[in-house]
Amino acid sequence: MTGKDTFTVKPADLPAPPQAALKILRACSRKDINNSELAELATHDPVLSTELLRIVNSAFFSMPSDIKSVTRAVNLLGQRALRNLVLCISVRDSVRQNALPDFDISSFWEDTLRHAVAARLLAEHSDLDDDECFTAGLLQDFGLLVMCFLQPSKASVWHDLRKLDPDQRYEREQQVFGITHDNLLQILGRSWSLPDELCAILGTHHDCKASSLSDADNRMCKILYLSDWMTAIFNVQQTGDCLRQYQSLANELLGLTLEQADTCLAAMPAMVESSAVALGLHIQQQPDFEDILSQANERLAEENMSYQELTWKLENALAEQDRLAAALDRELQVAREIQTGLLPSRRDSRFPVIGYNHSALELSGDFFDFFELPDGRIYFNLGDVSGKGVTAALLMAKTCSLFRCLGKREHDPARLLSTVNDELAETMIRGMFVTLTCGLYDPATDQVQLVNAGHPPALLISKEGEITELSASGPPLGIMAGSQYTIEKTSLSGGCLYLFSDGLIECEYAPDRVLGVSGLAKLLHKLHDREPDELIKLLFSQFIAQAETLKDDITLVMVEKRTPHA
Amino acid sequence: MEIKKRNESGYSIISLVGEVDLHFSPKAREEILKALKNNENVLVELSEVSYIDSSGIASLVEGYQMSKKSGQTFGLLSVSNAAMQVLKLARLDSVFPIYDNVEDVKD
Repeated sequence: MTGKDTFTVKPADLPAPPQAALKILRACSRKDINNSELAELATHDPVLSTELLRIVNSAFFSMPSDIKSVTRAVNLLGQRALRNLVLCISVRDSVRQNALPDFDISSFWEDTLRHAVAARLLAEHSDLDDDECFTAGLLQDFGLLVMCFLQPSKASVWHDLRKLDPDQRYEREQQVFGITHDNLLQILGRSWSLPDELCAILGTHHDCKASSLSDADNRMCKILYLSDWMTAIFNVQQTGDCLRQYQSLANELLGLTLEQADTCLAAMPAMVESSAVALGLHIQQQPDFEDILSQANERLAEENMSYQELTWKLENALAEQDRLAAALDRELQVAREIQTGLLPSRRDSRFPVIGYNHSALELSGDFFDFFELPDGRIYFNLGDVSGKGVTAALLMAKTCSLFRCLGKREHDPARLLSTVNDELAETMIRGMFVTLTCGLYDPATDQVQLVNAGHPPALLISKEGEITELSASGPPLGIMAGSQYTIEKTSLSGGCLYLFSDGLIECEYAPDRVLGVSGLAKLLHKLHDREPDELIKLLFSQFIAQAETLKDDITLVMVEKRTPHA
Repeated sequence: MEIKKRNESGYSIISLVGEVDLHFSPKAREEILKALKNNENVLVELSEVSYIDSSGIASLVEGYQMSKKSGQTFGLLSVSNAAMQVLKLARLDSVFPIYDNVEDVKD
């Protein structure tokens, strides 16, 4: 709090109780005062004594018979009750009706009575005098009225203040007035000759948890703080939040059960109305507690509704996502079918070329192909497109088609690759390229002409188990027009030629362990004498078993002179 | 994985560090193309590349193809053994101009 925020109260500016009332209040603080002396002080002010008798005889006090004299009233009610009544009347009359044109006085009295009634209801649960609590409740917000009285230009703030919960309101008061109602009450209490302990209670009720008062006074502090919350329930927008906070505080501060807390609340409206009549204050008809409760529940239901709506929208969005994913899945499935259709189907067991492809994704960037020329020689290839997914699949289809189409006329594999390269380089985008090994096998002579365009080496494993790597003679296809490739001529002579994609040599067969070209060569050598199908099965069981972690496509082509088995 | 850029003897040197894979390549590609579009002469330094896959190669190829069209300088600088193996295996050492240091480029 800065000095600028502080508001200094001059006692002379404070509203004063009527002379007779002040005399009674002062007399009540003396130990030696007797009932008849007090009654006499009251009788000196005919307006005050008439009002006292009217209130005492109202339904609020439920006296057994009509009480006609102030002396009898004091005898019946006791000195403290008289003091309380005088206080009530003084508070009520302290501010003239039209002294504050911007201030809604009737809503202020309504809340003041709510405080008083709430405090009285809570008194029953805390071994305190209900009358004392009622008076304290009636006084607890009096400071606010006085604040508005002293700073009338800010009086209209009351309208907003009462819609806040007690803690928020307390902060806002400090901001607006530079003082809070409890601080002002302590100052006012002295000039009104209120008992010190009452001043202390009124002055610290917002700090009741840290209070250093006696046990009973501290309990009254807590009651006043709770009555703030009970009153707020009738005014705030977030009824439900306020209600729950009150219920939890009632349990924490006074040990009230949920039922007890609610019973106190439910009793408020009727008692507020009857005490308004008794004190001669005009307030609106009080809302039923059930209405307040259902209002709180409606809000809760609204919140739940928007939550439900949110859930519903989320579910819809997820369903839509699923639908789109399913549609995409179907498209990819069709694309995959087309792509698989581009790969040649298996020939009979005498055919020297066998291929196998396993895709890591729906669409593969790997491919292989083989076809026979009219003279009986067989063109074969194995390629790998850079990148993955749809773009890779489209490029794969293009390369495959070019190779097959041009290969039927161009029977020199090196020139064929040069032509395909030039064709691809002309239209290639985003730096994409294709590594490819192709060959022309003549079953009649067992000779192979092999050309490697930037692809991992092909492996030739001779009948004797000798391994030869056949590396690339030129760069991948599609990078640089005019690239030249050279043919490597070799004879199978009972051996087998293996082409494969890098997926096979880079596949992790164990954590952080890849096969590599030499590892694959050893493995192939070991499986060399197996039937092709069995070999592929054994080889792939090493990798496909880990298909979940497969990052790349795996493709293999083997070329071998084959004789039909009996 | 990290990309560092510096200027040396009038060349923009884009240094790729770590594994240039499917995850890293798009960033490398973006940096290379940005420099070329900005009319810079680009050298991609690969001395700290521990692994490069086909997507990384594609980023270099795209830079190379773009520089051919515009007549800018594009080359690879101090290529690590790991990267050189891949380049040689695919005969890409015949495609990219490869230099050991910046002074060689002028020659």
